[in-house]
Amino acid sequence: MSPPDTGAALPELHARGRWPPPQGPRVAIVGSRRPSPYGEAVAEQLGTDLARARVIVVSGLALGIDAAAHRGALNGGGVTIAVMGTGVDVVYPAAHSRLAEEILSAGGALVSQFPDGTVPRRQNFPARNWTMAALSEIVVVVEAGEGSGALITADAALHLHKDVMAVPGSVFSALSVGTHGLLRDGAGLVQNARDVLAVLGQGGEVLDDPLPAPDRLGFALRPERDGIVAHLSDVLALSAADIARKLQLPVSEVLGRLTALELDGAVRRHEAGYIRALRRGKERA
Amino acid sequence: MLASVDSCLLAGLDARHVEVQADSSHGEVAFVLVGLAATSVKEARERVRSAIRNSGLEFPRRRLTVNLAPAELRKEGSGLDLPIAVAIALAVIRKAPPPRSAFLGELALDGTVCHADGVLVAARWLHRRGYERVFVPASDAAEAALVKGLEVIPCTNLAGVVAHIVGTRPIKPQPPTEPVMERDDEVGEHDLAEVHGQEEARRALEVAAAGGHHLLLSGPPGAGKTMLARCLPGILPPLELEEALEVAQVRSLLGDLPATRPLDWTRPFRAPHHGVSMAGLIGGGAGLAQPGEISRAHHGVLFLDELAEFQASVLQALRQPLESGCVSITRSGGSVAYPARFTLVAATNPCPCGWAGDGRRACRCTPAMVDAYRRRLSGPLLDRIDLKVGVRRVPLEALSSEPKGESSAPVRERVLAARRRQLDRQGCLNAQLKPARLRQCAGLDMTSRQTLERWAEQRGLTARGFHRAWRVARTSADLDSCERIAERHILEALGYRLNDVAA
Repeated sequence: MSPPDTGAALPELHARGRWPPPQGPRVAIVGSRRPSPYGEAVAEQLGTDLARARVIVVSGLALGIDAAAHRGALNGGGVTIAVMGTGVDVVYPAAHSRLAEEILSAGGALVSQFPDGTVPRRQNFPARNWTMAALSEIVVVVEAGEGSGALITADAALHLHKDVMAVPGSVFSALSVGTHGLLRDGAGLVQNARDVLAVLGQGGEVLDDPLPAPDRLGFALRPERDGIVAHLSDVLALSAADIARKLQLPVSEVLGRLTALELDGAVRRHEAGYIRALRRGKERA
Repeated sequence: MLASVDSCLLAGLDARHVEVQADSSHGEVAFVLVGLAATSVKEARERVRSAIRNSGLEFPRRRLTVNLAPAELRKEGSGLDLPIAVAIALAVIRKAPPPRSAFLGELALDGTVCHADGVLVAARWLHRRGYERVFVPASDAAEAALVKGLEVIPCTNLAGVVAHIVGTRPIKPQPPTEPVMERDDEVGEHDLAEVHGQEEARRALEVAAAGGHHLLLSGPPGAGKTMLARCLPGILPPLELEEALEVAQVRSLLGDLPATRPLDWTRPFRAPHHGVSMAGLIGGGAGLAQPGEISRAHHGVLFLDELAEFQASVLQALRQPLESGCVSITRSGGSVAYPARFTLVAATNPCPCGWAGDGRRACRCTPAMVDAYRRRLSGPLLDRIDLKVGVRRVPLEALSSEPKGESSAPVRERVLAARRRQLDRQGCLNAQLKPARLRQCAGLDMTSRQTLERWAEQRGLTARGFHRAWRVARTSADLDSCERIAERHILEALGYRLNDVAA
């Protein structure tokens, strides 16, 4: 898609909620609609920490990373802006109606360049991605596979002379292909919110090291379960059989121990196996 | 000049007594058949007339009335040909049939006695009703001779039957078919040794076999779901005599019993295609319902591959037999009940493209598509499946390095021992325990109960789901040779509840 004239980068916007937004730096957090639990946790944590530093989090109200970023910002008590590819009265996906309401009641806004009543159309979303870049000073990409819409946003940011940053992921994950490509091309590396704040020129507030190390998670690990947690990854799902093989234990026993850990919230079950829970977040919808 | 002969009509696995009366009297020459005969029975008139003439017997040139009693019962099928012909022949020669004997078989125009469906069912029923002798088609004699204490006269043609009754040329009774028990350790053609890796699914298969639990395998194409399912009959104990007879009865009704080997000890394995109709799977058809795949899988395994591709209504209809172990179907001809106590093994892809959750290949489905796909597997059906496990694809290059699994023989040993424990304790498999008996036979200590309740609360388990997990824990303990259920058994059971998480 050809870059629009940078001067006229921001189209006329329809808005619900507080618009124009309050003063303050704006950072877009974008990424896959189907992230790994790792990506989701990163996006949420970044959203929270940036919101605490009074940064306005911009995202697209989509599934996955977008929703995690909005939710994180809300958890951090911040203002967040959802740039929509539909009319501002058409929440898409519909499952995010409540999230949209929460954004509004927290003093944020839903904005769109499309007139009211515009239903979701594939061809509208790239233009929305441009708008997101235009509204933000920095675009942070968390997990983007090849050809992900988040890469369009990053591309737009470059054309609009905005900064692009990316969160590294596992080299085993297909969702890292896009972000690692950006990093290779010179995007800023995001390890935690401080990296983003540094680019914004704010060093100020002291944050917790955002992504807590697993040993600080505070799960009540029983000694006999420790062994299993140490073998789990937070990115790659491992099956009970994999773990049983590593620990030389019968699969029935490992399955039971994993269930116990699951009950405690220390591991999560996924399509293909178990992953270590990064944080004991609220149960997500 | 009246003769009467006994026979019976099948209604599912049950039968009704029919008396065939033939009377030849003065009057204009006619052949009248009365007694609510359906078309197939009315046609017997023509077959019987030709068969009698072509057997060198005399067909009365008088007024001939054949009555099928009781008159209110609608008669269907061709099995009454032989009794009608015998009754007529006996009326002509003024002889009575041998006492406590019944006849069954279809006639060809030349007098040959042909195969009839359901001879085994009829023979067992007649024996229970006090009959001592049955005349059946020679091709079906072996299956009738499975019934202990019943004399079976194999009939090849009408002339021979009459000669036997008159006493000129007695037919040698069929020797009893001895159910030969094959080698006990036979595992069948599929052995678990061929399954590489997949320890979780293998264990689930073992638990399913031990407790009679239904099993859902979810995984990408080529993960080996079908292979695993086919290994299940091999780790089940051979059929008991009564079970084998029940299986043979259903096959007999469908005319599917091999004459050379009427009794088979291996458990049935049925794998209907996902295009199967309601009548095909559950049972049905015109008049009286025929047994469907679920009844053919009785005492065995019903494998439904690509579960989400089955018609929704067909899957809904599975729910009742899954609970009760039998199915009752009503058609115009009446209502029949068939047994359907099978172990269900269902396989499904996790999403339409099949690759959700696979590390190597990205899933190309939108979340909405995945959602719609999973919704097709109705909640109430999944709720009735005790074990749900994910099966992962083993990449081809890793296949050889995956540990070779244990072979079926030792697994089967453990399954047999666990099943014995259950039968000794409660007389049935764990999967069939009613909640009240469950409390009695599978008491939970404090910790186990708390764990189960905690999970139920966290995941919103239904009461049915709660009891299912409980039963699986009982089986896990039985495999462990434990009389008391420990927390680890509950935890293992909860590990097989894949879709509580997805919900």
